[in-house]
Amino acid sequence: MSQEKIDILQRALKREKAARKAAEKILEDKSKELYVLSEELKVSNAKLEASVNEKSSQLEGVFKNINDAYVVIDITGNVIKMNNVAIDFFGYDIAQENFNIVRLIYFKDAEYAFTSFKTLLKEGAFANYTARIITKQKEIKWVQINASLIYDENEKPIAAQGIVRDITALKNLENQKEKILKELEKSNNELYEYAHIVSHDLKSPLRSIDALISWIKMDNEGKLDEPTLQNLTLIEGTLETMEKLISNILEYSSAGSEINETKYVYLDQIMDDVSRLLFVPEHISIKVLKKLPVVKGDSTKFQQLFQNLVSNAIKFNNKDQGIIEIDFVEEPSFYQFSVSDNGIGIEKKFHDRIFKIFHSLNKSKESTGIGLSIVKKIVDLYEGTIWLESEPGEGTTFFFTIKK
Amino acid sequence: MKGIIFTEFLDLVEDKFGLEMVDTIVSQSKLESEGAYTAIGTYRFSEMLQLLQNLSSHTKISIDDLLLTYAEHFFSVIESSYPGLLATYNDPIEMLASIENHIHVEVRKIYPDAELPTFVVQEKTANSLTMIYKSSRAMHHFGLGLMNKTFEHFNSSAEIMLEKIKEDGTEVKFIIKKNE
Repeated sequence: MSQEKIDILQRALKREKAARKAAEKILEDKSKELYVLSEELKVSNAKLEASVNEKSSQLEGVFKNINDAYVVIDITGNVIKMNNVAIDFFGYDIAQENFNIVRLIYFKDAEYAFTSFKTLLKEGAFANYTARIITKQKEIKWVQINASLIYDENEKPIAAQGIVRDITALKNLENQKEKILKELEKSNNELYEYAHIVSHDLKSPLRSIDALISWIKMDNEGKLDEPTLQNLTLIEGTLETMEKLISNILEYSSAGSEINETKYVYLDQIMDDVSRLLFVPEHISIKVLKKLPVVKGDSTKFQQLFQNLVSNAIKFNNKDQGIIEIDFVEEPSFYQFSVSDNGIGIEKKFHDRIFKIFHSLNKSKESTGIGLSIVKKIVDLYEGTIWLESEPGEGTTFFFTIKK
Repeated sequence: MKGIIFTEFLDLVEDKFGLEMVDTIVSQSKLESEGAYTAIGTYRFSEMLQLLQNLSSHTKISIDDLLLTYAEHFFSVIESSYPGLLATYNDPIEMLASIENHIHVEVRKIYPDAELPTFVVQEKTANSLTMIYKSSRAMHHFGLGLMNKTFEHFNSSAEIMLEKIKEDGTEVKFIIKKNE
């Protein structure tokens, strides 16, 4: 072999060696890099594992501690997981037997149950499903269920979970309440009817007495002396008062009954009616200071309300020029009305008492002591309040509010 | 530039022109690596350029023709080293059209720092493909050689025309028409 050839080969060999060493160095560096990387991976894996464990133990805690029954079912309804509350409540235990939730369905709610299950599959969840179930012990319970689907990593539903709340006690209370309300309504109606009958029955002997007295007067015309005639007139007056009293009691008993009608009530119209119905003497003027609002409620009740207040103002006016003013102010949630007069006024010590039934301050045949109690009852009905300001001898202003 | 391009190149030179030629072009080039290449290393492109220029002047073969021959050799390296990659294709046009979106993605998994040319598909039919090659290395003939071998691999052939968009060859249009 020529020297030249040997030199070439030696140089080639030298290059190959250098290349090998370079390759070894690169590989060493790479494996070192890989080692560091795998150590880092180990650390982050450990962290991930710890956080998964923590989350699972939190979930396990929720699963055990929740006060409601919690179940997980597969897509065909077989229960695959349930907490102790669920075992106690349903009476079934998946550790002992297979348990499909279909067994819980109460026949009367079957259709609702199947539609809800379809909703769950379609929408992925349902809330506040309320129906009856039948437990293993054949007890019927009311439940409220919130459920949602569980998906695998490909977004395919694989199971459903539900929280089942026992609302049997609540439902029973609700039913009881409804029953009591119905009974109450019935007895209220009976009472109202009773009041009607009683008032009718009470009035008819009064009318008989009235007739008898007028017959006595007719039969004995010219024979009776003045004191007897006066006594007979007093009897007639008393009879009239008595009849009014009975009518007012009837009115009072109906004033507190529920607001059946909730129509728009044009209070301006109501006030016109009131002025027409009442006998307003010439020396008394009624002024409505501004256009009254439209409220919601029963027009008869509003008429009673204004009629009673205005008629009191007329009745107890002793001035030559009687003035009655009706006004209101609007507040965000209610209207505040006022009816003021320049009549005889009411002493402070009677302010509370006047709203109580049969508390007439003036013994007169026109005043039965029921009017203001009717007013109070109606104001109460519309969740308002009533009060007054008065100066004896100067006049009185009644204020009342009506909730919007 | 990846070491495998150098090692395969010098292997081919040794094969075709003998170890003496390898010795000559390595000695005549100013190489930082001193010509000691390993497939897994990374070296300057200027080293390849010098080796090519020296080989060209000794053999009187143009650099483009050298690159073409080298590419045809290099395809066999791909065939034997990455048969799985080629097996995912059954049509040469499909394979060439996906250089950018599939093949180069795979290359980067093995050589994350590889500096690859871009091949932008301009027009594609079942039997034709127009692509724009862009690379500062101007190794379009290396690409051409690989393309020729690609058609051969699928037992077909094609007319491939090159149109230089830039005079220095850093941007070239490849017009490929598969022979029926």
